Amino acid sequence: MPDTGATVKATRRGKPRENLAGWGFIAPFGILFILFMLVPVLWGIYLSFTNQSLTGAGGELIGFSNYAEALADPDMWRSMLNTVWFTVLSTVPLVVIALALALLVNTGLPGQWLWRLSFFMPYLLASTVVSLIWVWLYNPQLGLFNTVLGWFGVDPITWLQDPDLAMLSVVITTVWWTIGFNFLLYLAALQNIPDSQYEAASLDGAGRWRSLFSITIPQLGSTTVMVVILQLLASLKVFDQIYQMTGGGPAGTTRSAIQYIFETGFTGFRFGYSSAISYIFFVLIIVVSVIQFRITARRSA
Amino acid sequence: MTRSRQPGGGPSFSRRRMLAGTAAVFGGALLTPTLAGCSTSAASGITSLSYWHLLSGGDGITMATLVADVEKKLGNVSVDQTVLAWGAPYYTKLAMASAGGRAPDIAIMHASRVTGWAPGGLLDPWDLDLLAEFDVTEETFKPRIWEKGFTDGKLYSVALDSHPFIMFYNTDVADEAGVLRSDGTLIETTTPDEFIDMALEMQAVTGQHGLSWGYLNDGAQLWRLFYTLYKQHGADMVLETGKPAEYDKDAALESLEFMTKLVDGTVAATNSDINNGIAEFAGGRSGMLFSGVWELRTLQDADIAFDASTIPTLYGTPAVYADSHTFVLPHQSKPDETKRRAAYEFMSTLLKGSIDWAGAGHIPAYLPVVNDPAYDDLIPQAHYANAADLINYDPPAWFTGSGSDFQNYFLDSIQGVMLGERSPEAGLASFISRINTLLSKPNPVTA
Repeated sequence: MPDTGATVKATRRGKPRENLAGWGFIAPFGILFILFMLVPVLWGIYLSFTNQSLTGAGGELIGFSNYAEALADPDMWRSMLNTVWFTVLSTVPLVVIALALALLVNTGLPGQWLWRLSFFMPYLLASTVVSLIWVWLYNPQLGLFNTVLGWFGVDPITWLQDPDLAMLSVVITTVWWTIGFNFLLYLAALQNIPDSQYEAASLDGAGRWRSLFSITIPQLGSTTVMVVILQLLASLKVFDQIYQMTGGGPAGTTRSAIQYIFETGFTGFRFGYSSAISYIFFVLIIVVSVIQFRITARRSA
Repeated sequence: MTRSRQPGGGPSFSRRRMLAGTAAVFGGALLTPTLAGCSTSAASGITSLSYWHLLSGGDGITMATLVADVEKKLGNVSVDQTVLAWGAPYYTKLAMASAGGRAPDIAIMHASRVTGWAPGGLLDPWDLDLLAEFDVTEETFKPRIWEKGFTDGKLYSVALDSHPFIMFYNTDVADEAGVLRSDGTLIETTTPDEFIDMALEMQAVTGQHGLSWGYLNDGAQLWRLFYTLYKQHGADMVLETGKPAEYDKDAALESLEFMTKLVDGTVAATNSDINNGIAEFAGGRSGMLFSGVWELRTLQDADIAFDASTIPTLYGTPAVYADSHTFVLPHQSKPDETKRRAAYEFMSTLLKGSIDWAGAGHIPAYLPVVNDPAYDDLIPQAHYANAADLINYDPPAWFTGSGSDFQNYFLDSIQGVMLGERSPEAGLASFISRINTLLSKPNPVTA
């Protein structure tokens, strides 16, 4: 339709009514967002400037002293570093191995459904179930891993009790548990690459490896960006499996940031202090996201 | 920490129980306004009480039976039980319910946690005169247990039991090892070396270990043994907000060193959690087990001949670590007088019938029950009843007690010592520094 003054006028006149309808449509989401997201976020910021206790005591404004205390709290820094370390350790295999599995399954192995099912199935389990299974597998006395290692004369390994090994053990469990999701994303992306590209490449004399590096991996670029972002966010939020497998031990080597927030607020009763730590953690996540955004933006530019 | 065997049995954290607990909390919250109106309705004459506790597994079943018995006896009281998962899930929810002023009418807590709660106004004190009306008085409890109920001169908790950390022993193994006396009890050991010798005699019989115990990822088990040995030195630990911890360093180090000697791979396993320990003892592959009285039922189901006693006094002063399940009145902004009275009546009737609670291994706190000849027939319960005179609760502070983070801090610092990765000095120093940090901050319960 040609842009005439009449239509512009009509639009202007109709605007309030259309706006109303628009607000109506977003209201269900908007109200929930304000009630359960915005209000708690603002309330949390307010709490972080008070000495509010879980028991209802306190509540006076105490300025920035919670933040000052948190920044000088070695346990807080340690829990943040543990979380970052977990994220680094888990993200790499969760992306690389997921891609490798997807490529293997996509080569046309027989029994496709079986492979997909076996790689994806652990993802469907609840974290409590996964933790319970793996705590038994890792059990130094009766666990499957040490029993098998014992056949080869290896001394029992304290998987979850050795400060140097505990985080790695949790990462192994996490990779086993959650890799199915990334695997499916990659598999779907692989199946979207047109066969004609591979046919053209083979006519030009490209071998399998050449096709992999010149067609497959570049075509998966946007999927990789998405997988990495989702994975980083998921790993930074780690809590359940660590809490259940090690409780944050040994000697605090696996205590995550979320667990420290939980401990200071819910079992340590200090809501104000706990809120301050959660906003410091929030800033950390933003920093990681910005770095991630910079890297991917440069790559796609 | 999360898989520790606890009084109450079973793992402390399960999704289903959490969900059930959450549902009960929300359900309870939604129902309260309507129920409050009709709970004491003249038409039925029945007072309904809400009752929260953290007893699951076998203890939970026993408690449900006791509650049903009380309801039958009283006739005019009906009790709604809400069972929440042991530890943090229970204590955070109870604290929030009390802080909101709409708490249950009566609840169970650990005696060691009351110290941290009472000054913050989370609990209402019991009325001594009203208690006396229902035959609950100072004379009906052992002094240590009764006194533990007081904070700032007011009685905040009335104990149902005491559940000490004790020693089970396999009588067949002990007999074969020649360490059993003619009366069926173990030979007396009064020094650490004597105890280790006795354990080695038993190890020679079982071929595996002399003693079963477990501490991996389990601050509670680690702390219970440590505190038993520490208190046997006659030493004290004072934790007061605003001051560094007062403790006896030599006693603490000596206890830790002895514990590392036990987990040498011969006397006891080096890398063992308490589930391994119980399985080992129940399978006849060791002569002794250090654990809580709440394991009694599990061991009775195992096919072994065993008895139990308090842990031998190795450092001169008889002492055992213990805690108590106690009844408390969570703070209500507007308590209903009829319900309050019903809560007293419910609690005292339950105490009087607590002989069945002894079946689960716990030592009933209400003396008329323990003094009844029926209790002497309970074996091995009667053999460790003396523990009620020797018990030591966690050093009082707002952050200590069963299911608190305190025991996890101990685990964080001491597990490495047990595994031989760090010295007892380093482990103890790291624990004390952690505790001193907490003590240097204001108490958030009374803030």
